[in-house]
Amino acid sequence: MKIVSRFMRAGLLGAAFASAAIGGAKAEDSADPIKIILNNWSSQVVFANVVGQLLEKQGKAVEYVPSDGQLQFMALANNDMDFQIEVWEGSHHESFVKSVAAGALDLGTHDAVTREDWWYPSYMNEMCPGLPDWKALDACAEKLATAETGTKGRFVGPPADWGKHYSERIEALGMNFQEVPVGQAATLWAELQAAYDRKEPIVLFNWTPNFIEAKFEGQFIEFPVFEPECWSDPAWGQNPDKIYDCGAPAKGYLKKAGSKQLVEKWPDAAAFLKKVNLTNPQFASAAALVDVDGLTPEDAATKWIADNEATWKPWTE
Amino acid sequence: MTDTTMRATADRPSVGIFGPHILVFGTFVVATVALAALFPPLDTWPEEWVLPVREWVTEFFAWLGAVAKPVTRTIAWLLAQPLAFVEAVLYRGVPDWGLKPLPWVAVVAGAVLIGHWLAGARLALFAGSCTAYLAVFGLWQDSMQTLSIVLVTVPLAAGAGLALGIWATRSARADKVLNAALDLMQATPHMAYLAPVVVLFGFGQVPAMLATLIFAVPPMARCTILGIRTVPSDVMEAGRMSGCTTRQLLWKVELPAAQQTLLLGLNQVVMQTLAMVVIASLVGASGLGQKLLYSLQQLQIGKAVEQGIAITLIAIVLDRLTRAAMHRAPQRIPDGTAWHVRHVHLVAFLAITLGAVLLAQVLPQLSVLPRNMTLSFGQPINDVVRWISRNLYAYIKPVRDTITIWLLLPIRDFYLWLPWTTFIGFLALIGWYLGGLRLALVPVCLLGFMMVAGFWTPLMLTIYLVTGCTILAIMIGVPTGIWASRHPRGAKVTLTICDTLQTFPSFIYLIPVIMLLQTSDLSNVIAMLAYATVPAVRYTYLGMILVPKATVEAATASGANARQRLWKVELPIALPEILLGINQTIMMALSMVAITALIGSRDLGQEIYKALPGAETGRGLIAGIGIAFIGITADRLIGAWARRRKKDLGLA
Amino acid sequence: MTPTAKISCRNLWKIFGPTPDAFLARHGGAPKLEHFKAEGMIGAVRDVSFDVHPGEILIIMGLSGSGKSTLIRAITRLNDPTAGSIMFEGQDLLRVSEDELVELRRHKMGMVFQHFGLLPHRTVLANVAFPLEVRGSPREERERRAMEMLKLVGLEGRESYFPRELSGGQQQRVGIARSLAVGPDIWFLDEPFSALDPLIRREMQDEFMRLQKMLKKTIVFITHDFEEAVRLGDRIGIMKEGQLVQLATPEEMISQPADDYVRQFTSNAPRDRVLSVGSIASHMVVPPTGAGVAASAKLGDAAAQVLASDAPLAVLDDMGQPIGSVTREMMIAAMFPSRDADKHPERQP
Repeated sequence: MKIVSRFMRAGLLGAAFASAAIGGAKAEDSADPIKIILNNWSSQVVFANVVGQLLEKQGKAVEYVPSDGQLQFMALANNDMDFQIEVWEGSHHESFVKSVAAGALDLGTHDAVTREDWWYPSYMNEMCPGLPDWKALDACAEKLATAETGTKGRFVGPPADWGKHYSERIEALGMNFQEVPVGQAATLWAELQAAYDRKEPIVLFNWTPNFIEAKFEGQFIEFPVFEPECWSDPAWGQNPDKIYDCGAPAKGYLKKAGSKQLVEKWPDAAAFLKKVNLTNPQFASAAALVDVDGLTPEDAATKWIADNEATWKPWTE
Repeated sequence: MTDTTMRATADRPSVGIFGPHILVFGTFVVATVALAALFPPLDTWPEEWVLPVREWVTEFFAWLGAVAKPVTRTIAWLLAQPLAFVEAVLYRGVPDWGLKPLPWVAVVAGAVLIGHWLAGARLALFAGSCTAYLAVFGLWQDSMQTLSIVLVTVPLAAGAGLALGIWATRSARADKVLNAALDLMQATPHMAYLAPVVVLFGFGQVPAMLATLIFAVPPMARCTILGIRTVPSDVMEAGRMSGCTTRQLLWKVELPAAQQTLLLGLNQVVMQTLAMVVIASLVGASGLGQKLLYSLQQLQIGKAVEQGIAITLIAIVLDRLTRAAMHRAPQRIPDGTAWHVRHVHLVAFLAITLGAVLLAQVLPQLSVLPRNMTLSFGQPINDVVRWISRNLYAYIKPVRDTITIWLLLPIRDFYLWLPWTTFIGFLALIGWYLGGLRLALVPVCLLGFMMVAGFWTPLMLTIYLVTGCTILAIMIGVPTGIWASRHPRGAKVTLTICDTLQTFPSFIYLIPVIMLLQTSDLSNVIAMLAYATVPAVRYTYLGMILVPKATVEAATASGANARQRLWKVELPIALPEILLGINQTIMMALSMVAITALIGSRDLGQEIYKALPGAETGRGLIAGIGIAFIGITADRLIGAWARRRKKDLGLA
Repeated sequence: MTPTAKISCRNLWKIFGPTPDAFLARHGGAPKLEHFKAEGMIGAVRDVSFDVHPGEILIIMGLSGSGKSTLIRAITRLNDPTAGSIMFEGQDLLRVSEDELVELRRHKMGMVFQHFGLLPHRTVLANVAFPLEVRGSPREERERRAMEMLKLVGLEGRESYFPRELSGGQQQRVGIARSLAVGPDIWFLDEPFSALDPLIRREMQDEFMRLQKMLKKTIVFITHDFEEAVRLGDRIGIMKEGQLVQLATPEEMISQPADDYVRQFTSNAPRDRVLSVGSIASHMVVPPTGAGVAASAKLGDAAAQVLASDAPLAVLDDMGQPIGSVTREMMIAAMFPSRDADKHPERQP
């Protein structure tokens, strides 16, 4: 016991000296590790590893920190974590805005755009003629009914707190549907996988870019095209008394976010991260390296760096 | 009902709770329902009367987080130091000094030697092969990350629990306060602690450790209290008469004499810590838990199972080792034994480690097993799950629809329809009948608080899921327990399955359940069932085994056939045990409520889960406490009932 | 208080229940049995006074619940008494501070327990050395002393055993060795042999007597076994419902029981080995016809002579002077009292 505590004290002392030494040479990026956030979907993990490995190539220390997709924003604001490669308008907008207000940084937007809406597998085209039009889906409601929903069609919705207002849309458009919200994204994929294997009809919440398009064939349902007034003006659209009588915006942003200390402690690294910019096909193909080819995220990142030097070289200059 | 009738009924063996009072209960129900129809506030608590408790709590924690930041961050930093040390030893190494972590061969050897030291060759083999599994299935790095957290958290939790327990035995007031606090801490689901911990301590391994601590401390504190209280009075008096000061008495007499119970507490701490592994990854703990969630996200069930088994194996190995330590009495060592003989296991470990470190310079496979040398059975499991989902769904669907339409939906609609006055009043009436005013106040205060705080609907939906789960658990568990009590060999198999079900991370069940049953209440109930059936089986088995043989023989001699014996003799006598089992079933179901949020539900578990992203401490914490309140209410009522039954049967 | 007494207890009370002090004060310091009943208090020790003389074995006996265990715990202050005084070497034990008490226990008191009270995690040697360890003796010294003690109780060679590896009798030997390790002035034994088999109990009693012959300690010994009390005790105190009913030598107790309770207790005693001829003799002096009987002779030793004689035999004191007489009938009545005779042991035929 005594020996251990003595060892610890020696270690602490050593750490104190080390940090003093670093404090002395303040001119360049700190030697402390930059904390890069890992989420639990493939494209994010692959590109988090890509930027991590690129940073290491530049001699920076890097640490990967797993986090919940929402809680991370508080961590960014508190300097507990330093960099997030994917900030989604659809899912993260509110938390991101709050986090920026609390001190986190917006590090710029990818070329990639995002879309989130109702989605169905292609084999349903035969079951419900007229898809992807929403009216054809509505006519097909009974084929999607289950014990709980009675005669109404079952729409497997996103977690209840993602703020998508789908129940309001069902009501505003007078659809014969009921939303069944899931608890987490994995539940959506389990539902999809099971229905897909059995070739059963299913309509569920989905978004792009993600790994789903590499594994499953399907489309988004086409609702009345989104215009900002749809969400604010009841008179707009086919239901004169209600808002939300339209689809979701088809082109949401995909951003990068960083902590405040990122710019202060590692100015070089921050400059590099600001330049990182990816497109929809790049996200999808990176996800496929993991989800289809079965590589580990780390190996996928190494492979991506080897294959795409033309893409990342300019970021480092 | 006058005092005398109360006493009269208490003396008479009562069959059900209602007994002759069915009229009182009936009148009460009719009256409250009628009143609720006349005065809507008696039916549904008006929204404008809801107290903003959750906002208060959220604001309090936000304020506390801001004010106490220097303190909390210092604590976090202090806790990070031992963790950094263990991590360096197990998997990180110290790259700056060119130090590598322990080679996996050395860690496996360590497990073997500890096993051998504690309980001989069998445990050595078991511990060794379990540890080797981690390396062979390519989970080494993640397992060592998880193990690091466990190895640092366990002593901390044990130390804190020990201190609290000692404090409780020194002061009657501390005992009272602590007992209530421990009840609440244990009944609140793990997940509810995450939000406050994040607000106060931020993200990463250390906050995950702290959240784990909260859950792992209570069993240690309880075992400490129990251990100290049960030291034989002769031993205590001998200590005092030997001239011990209070402090000497504690360290030289009480704690050593309570060693067995303390080790049991340590064992519980280990199990609780591992139960938190997956949930802790939600606040940034890396390791097996995080990888498991990631695999599930990718629908790689097979991989998740491999990772889940790794968690279970770590749990089982640590469980067996602490148990062995518990049963291991101090050994006599002849005088004059040489140091290296006395510490032969330590010497062997040092030798193997040194050898492995040196050899690893030449053979890097000894340090970390390269990926192409690892195994996986993930794909076959994936295939099996998908095969089942594809081919058995046709048979499962009718069952699913029947249970949903005939059991679950009616219960749900009934609960949601019940006026709060009827529901709370009915429970209070039962409480009054079983234990007087004090017990009657339990449902009124606890459930009433949740209503006033604006959680009535999630509360009722939680109770609905728990009711459905309990009914199914009884339907499955009680017959299984009876069967096991009749077939000794079957009992062994059944109890092993029970053990496995309880140590396996519950998250893994979720995906297959969803694939077969979709996002539905039945999925929620089934996910809860995997845990909750276990106590129903165990306690029924125990109750049946404990029925006095003479009573059964007397019944046989009286000409009762097997069925009459079961229904008229054995079950009534085993009922108190079975009731305790049902009580435990409810507790287990409640502890799983938070997990059902991941499938999709609208109960209190969902409130906890939803509170995480926005760090809405109040919402999450109160929902968590609400789950604890349901548990405490059920526990008190069923406990009182079981005690009364036992007294009536003269078994107390 | 007798100035020579080693321990002198006066008006000792131990009352269980809520606020025992107030209860005692309310009844003028001497509540009656009915007060206890009426207020639901328990008087475990009620107004007990006695002295323990240096070098004597004082036995406290009574049935379970009579208060004997509470009494010894009051004297040792394992349980603080409610009121009274206990003078020990000129100090009132009830007024010493906690620290002083610890010092007293470390140097002057030893105690043996019914269920041995050994520390299961320590070896025999470490158990015996324990009281020395807590008072801070250096390791070598305390282990040497502990070895001496083990030799004394005949447990040489077992020093590295653990208590669970020993028989009950051996465990109690360890308990005895431990209690003697500090070289106590006063030795408390709380039913030390009650948990042992009858044969072992006998052996341990002999062992105890052997030790006492060597050590000559002042002893307070608790038992519920009258035979044991008679065998070992110089004086016996009988307790009933918290009160000391009678404190006397074994012989006085049998020949002159204070009340029916004591008489019942003594009825199964080995009278032939306890009673002396003098205690049953009548005061009618008869002329010594031939050999008389010594007054100090035990009944068992004189029986053959008395029973063989048709006439009363003269009873002689130590100087050989006749002080009374004894008849065959008196001898029979004393040795085999009928229920009736039991009530009047001194009745003349």
